[in-house]
Amino acid sequence: MLRLLLPVFLLLALVGASVLSDRPMPRADFVFINRGDVNTLDPQRMSWMQDLRVARLIFEGLVQNDVLSDDYAIIPAIAESWTVSEDGLTYTFHLRDNARWTNGSPVTAQDFRFTWRRALLPDLASDYVGMFLLIRGAQDFYDWREQALNDFGERQFPSARARAEAADELWEHTKDRFDEMVALTAPDPLTLVVELERPIPYFLDLCAFAVFYPVYGPLVSQFERPDPVTARLMRRPGWTKPGVLISNGPFELVRWRFKRDMRLEANDLWWNRESLAIESIDIPSVNDPNAVTLAFQTGSVDWVSDVTAAYRGDLLADKLDFYREHAEEYERLKAKGLDPYEIDRRLPEDPRKHIKATPAFGVYFYNFNCRPILADGRPNPFHDARVRRAFAMCIDKQAIVDEVRRLGESVAHTLIPPGSIGGYTGPQGIPHIGQARNEAEREAIAQEARALLEEADFPPNFVVELLFNTDGGHDLIAQAIAKNWQEYLGVQTRLTQKEIKIFREDLKNHRFITARAGWYGDYGDPTTFLNINQSQDGNNDRAYSNPEFDALLDRAAAELDPAERMAILAEAERMLVEEEFPLVPIFIYNNVQLFDSARVTGLTAHPRSKNNLYLIDILGDGKGPDKPRPMRPARSAEPAQ
Amino acid sequence: MTNLVLRRLLQLPLILLVIYTITLGLAWLVPGNPLENPDRRPKPEVIEQMNRQYNLDSFPRFYFSYLRNATGITWLSDAAAGRLARERELAALSGLPAPHRPIFDLGPSLEYDDWTVNEIVAGSLPISVTLGAAAILIALVIGVATGVIGAVRPNSLADLSTLVVSLIGISLPSFVIGTVLLLVFALILGWFPVAEWGTPRSIVLPAVTLSLPFAAYIARLTRMGMIDALGADYIRTARAKGAAELSVLLKHALKNAFLPVLSFLGPAAALAMTGSFIVERVFTVPGMGQHFVNAVQNKDLFLIMGVVLIFATMLILFNLAVDVLYRWVDPRIES
Repeated sequence: MLRLLLPVFLLLALVGASVLSDRPMPRADFVFINRGDVNTLDPQRMSWMQDLRVARLIFEGLVQNDVLSDDYAIIPAIAESWTVSEDGLTYTFHLRDNARWTNGSPVTAQDFRFTWRRALLPDLASDYVGMFLLIRGAQDFYDWREQALNDFGERQFPSARARAEAADELWEHTKDRFDEMVALTAPDPLTLVVELERPIPYFLDLCAFAVFYPVYGPLVSQFERPDPVTARLMRRPGWTKPGVLISNGPFELVRWRFKRDMRLEANDLWWNRESLAIESIDIPSVNDPNAVTLAFQTGSVDWVSDVTAAYRGDLLADKLDFYREHAEEYERLKAKGLDPYEIDRRLPEDPRKHIKATPAFGVYFYNFNCRPILADGRPNPFHDARVRRAFAMCIDKQAIVDEVRRLGESVAHTLIPPGSIGGYTGPQGIPHIGQARNEAEREAIAQEARALLEEADFPPNFVVELLFNTDGGHDLIAQAIAKNWQEYLGVQTRLTQKEIKIFREDLKNHRFITARAGWYGDYGDPTTFLNINQSQDGNNDRAYSNPEFDALLDRAAAELDPAERMAILAEAERMLVEEEFPLVPIFIYNNVQLFDSARVTGLTAHPRSKNNLYLIDILGDGKGPDKPRPMRPARSAEPAQ
Repeated sequence: MTNLVLRRLLQLPLILLVIYTITLGLAWLVPGNPLENPDRRPKPEVIEQMNRQYNLDSFPRFYFSYLRNATGITWLSDAAAGRLARERELAALSGLPAPHRPIFDLGPSLEYDDWTVNEIVAGSLPISVTLGAAAILIALVIGVATGVIGAVRPNSLADLSTLVVSLIGISLPSFVIGTVLLLVFALILGWFPVAEWGTPRSIVLPAVTLSLPFAAYIARLTRMGMIDALGADYIRTARAKGAAELSVLLKHALKNAFLPVLSFLGPAAALAMTGSFIVERVFTVPGMGQHFVNAVQNKDLFLIMGVVLIFATMLILFNLAVDVLYRWVDPRIES
């Protein structure tokens, strides 16, 4: 009998030992669930929103956005001040002398040179290398390195050793070439001078983007060595781990367990340490949408950045009930011009008010394939802008927002969310069928659209395919659109649902007729949305190619007068959404978050929705000023320089 | 016995090689590029470079380079050539921690830049093993107890109710059981935490959820074995010489009836201890089960191969352990 019990004892011992060895840490001051798991903490390799959000906590760049102001102004960070030359080409940054890395070394202009050189190497394959190519000489350097690597691959060497030595040599030479070619200099340790290829009015906004934040060269270069065979710089993971990572931001990484949790603690060497109102941050990894909501409801989490549970629409409906119950008070607060979080804070305590839906810097749209020939060889009727216009008119966007999404989102008439970019006024777009006030108007719009199809000789038996990816509720939106098109245009439709990776491959290779899409802006300039429609752009899934449109963007790039430049860009957007319709905008995404604004303050309500979480204060915890931090009105009409 | 263990251990690499070849072949065919970012699309030359860096541009090169790294051949040859020592020296010179070079190198994760597959497995496997062990324990207690009760009075009310319970355990998917347990015991009663791992309390609900299908199976196996055993001659003898009923049941009958359960325990333990995607997701357990699904979705080749090879190895070793136990418990089985 004892023999039989042996496996049982073994199992028991195993469980006991494991439980005893794994002790949790005390709860952090601020616990939040990020949009997803962090993919990397290497700023130059980042492209995901959740990664960038954490990067802004543990690293710090030259400048930052004032995320709690309505104008999102650029304010100092590592750079105390800066000047821009008359022609808009030369930026001189003056670094503060009290900025330190977590190992005590000062943050210098050389650190930025090291980091930006790193980002510019084709070896690193940074998703955002294009932003660095705006620096004078950068494109030439990138091309040179690419060519040198290709040449190296074709050269013959007497031995493996000789090859490895030549690889090291090429790397040394590359560093020299960078110094010669790229107009990024450090006349002294606290001055950084950047010269641009052409004036980039949003260059400071790019500098506030975490991919431009510095990394510590002496550490990182140890993990990047030229490959002895290909001479490419090989990255080894490891330097972004707690205990190894050397960073310069408000917080320090103290624990990171894969797909489990991340713990940050206040960095005592940060120059603005006393401004912090929280000492520690926990970022548990919770992937199940329902578990995320439950974790907030049981109080173990303070902020959920993206609520994805299927019933979030119901939660938002409950919140509207709450507002209706307090209608008078709500209207009074709203009339004062308060931001939505501040309104919630002042309303009576109620768990229903914790869910917040705020407009995001992103838009949901449908792509039309603009190539003359479809992937299967048939002629593509959507090559004709009149066809695209007809289909764009006949989508009841209002119904999609109100009945399918149910997240309080706004209908989009333009590609760029209105009001999200200071100084830019976009076009109007065209009316869609959902705006008709009565049956007659509805019929008039449908008639106009059908006339367009007729004019364009739309083939009568052509089946219009709607391609979308599984999950995320895209199927319901596609059904609604297909029904609109059948009803108002009398065309046949087919819904095709594909797994996300395959969906992306199809989009990239233009194997679709119409397909769902979404885009979030990266920086505060219209080009972040408009560029994806340029003929040569890597994200031009529509294969839209219009020399006139490209010429407008080129003209805007050369224009020195900011107002005139914005007018040209508005004309380019007008071309997209009023004439050409390579895509049809449907709605502006809302961010759905969960937090108690009477407890957590310092989150931004700006449509750019880029949070700097070191501004968080937990009200009433006795740490920090414990005063609400509402959105402030813009300081001036023109952003400070 | 030694013979058996030796033979099985010699078979292990062969079986693993076959599994490796088939899995890699299938994973290679999964459409999509693992290095592609969903929204910001890198230039084609950049993708091409990265493919080259990871040998993703050629199946045979990937096949053999991965094999060399994962089996430790690369490590051995680097150690023999003194390359490891040189790396350590270099690091020491610059005052930095020496690069970590595992013997069995399962490669980098393509989706998660900052992690190697070794680190991912090292972080998640112990969690899955703990949870799986707890689940198997619970399954044994519930399963054997209900099985014995059922066998003592076959077709009685007690037997029928254990049948119903085990049917539920087998048929109800764990996301239903898990969600119900979570709602009742965590949210309504507040006895257990939500979305947390690490405390003894946090293990209970996922372990129970994970255990139920195994418990149901064990119950049926025990019941069948007990009914067979209770009809055997030696039981009649034991009763005839006046042994107490409890002693007859537990000492004489269960010992034999347990053998089928024991052989089920091998694969069951391997399965439970390598993690369940659904249980881990519902209870936010940072175990290994999630990687089986996520890695395929992301086409993270290194991670797919890593978890599959670990699972296969565990399955083979657990089966071996059960065979050894079997012979030890029941000396009649030899050869």
